[in-house]
Amino acid sequence: MNDLSKRPDHDPPYDYPPYGSTRLRFPREPLLELPAGALDVPGPLVPKGFVRDGDNDLTNKGKSAPLGEKMILAGRLLDESGRPIRDSLVEIWQANASGRYDHVGDQHDAPLDPNFHGLGRTFTDDDGWYRFVTIRPGSYPWANHAFAWRPQHIHFSLLGNAPIQRLVTQMYFPGDPLLDFDPVYQSVPDEAARKRMTCMLQLDTGIENVALGYRFDIVLAGARATPLGT
Amino acid sequence: MERTPSQTIGPFFHDALRWRDGHRVSFSEPGTDVVLAGRILDGAGQPVGDALVETWQRSPTGQTPAACKDGNPYGFARVETAKDGTFRIETRMPGGPAPHLDVTILARGLLKPLRTRVYLAPEEEVRADPAMKPLAGSPRLKSLVARQEGGEYRWEVRLQGDGETVFFSA
Repeated sequence: MNDLSKRPDHDPPYDYPPYGSTRLRFPREPLLELPAGALDVPGPLVPKGFVRDGDNDLTNKGKSAPLGEKMILAGRLLDESGRPIRDSLVEIWQANASGRYDHVGDQHDAPLDPNFHGLGRTFTDDDGWYRFVTIRPGSYPWANHAFAWRPQHIHFSLLGNAPIQRLVTQMYFPGDPLLDFDPVYQSVPDEAARKRMTCMLQLDTGIENVALGYRFDIVLAGARATPLGT
Repeated sequence: MERTPSQTIGPFFHDALRWRDGHRVSFSEPGTDVVLAGRILDGAGQPVGDALVETWQRSPTGQTPAACKDGNPYGFARVETAKDGTFRIETRMPGGPAPHLDVTILARGLLKPLRTRVYLAPEEEVRADPAMKPLAGSPRLKSLVARQEGGEYRWEVRLQGDGETVFFSA
């Protein structure tokens, strides 16, 4: 607890009334501290064959190209001491260019794109790099409050290389005017921390005349036992 | 380096994060097959039908699970809850004293994951676990102990309110 109080909160609280779905789901009792190191062990170790060639390209899964602005999204997965997290599974999902998920639960009246399903996975390389080929997702309304629209975002799931490193987050785009009104983004109390969820336009990460480039680095907890991969 | 903050998993993760046989945990060692049948309820007692549950545990011989060549990683389960809030994990009894699974729950409405633990052991054994020392005299310890019924381990998770499950800070 002492260590935590010394640094700004990285993470949002559980109890955050502006995001209505937290209301019946946040724990009211104080959290218990697990003994240090309980989750700071190597694992789970995902075998290489888990990802197939091309799983990091979300734009070649249909008969033709998906609608939308094609983009290359690349970045590094690092621990708090700046070391690369190698051979680690990165999974992403997102709405299509119209702001519609290819998911049975999405009721937004925007068109599906038969050429875009919005699912990707890859492993980081020896320097912690990952790379996806995708399209820029659209915004969409949600029922949280009046005129609620989510800013454009891509969901990320990271296993890291130790259970303590597990992170699920969302990546946003620079300058999106909806960020000011989004309770999910605003739930992170520290402004500098919020900005770490925003990617950066990086033109030379793109492909000339084909795709825009964006850079998004991700920093996970738990430097102590970060294994160097297999 | 400063950490990247957590955000909710939202309601649309299923196709992206569904692993084939994610509910079936494998190991390099043989052991005793066990089933954990769980259910997650919210603060109104309603089922949480859109959660993702992940578990991590020691191998049947009490080791940190080894690396494997194919399939899912050893020692790890990933399963989504059904509409009625239930989930089911087929695994092997972890080795060592006070066997348990470390559990991570992600869902819409959770801006960061909830971490908890489920013991597949008698309550006395759990009370004796040094990790549970802060709870040794508390009635809330029961929330971390699965009960054996019909050849399965049954475990109910309550996110909030009466009988709230004990959760851990990461």
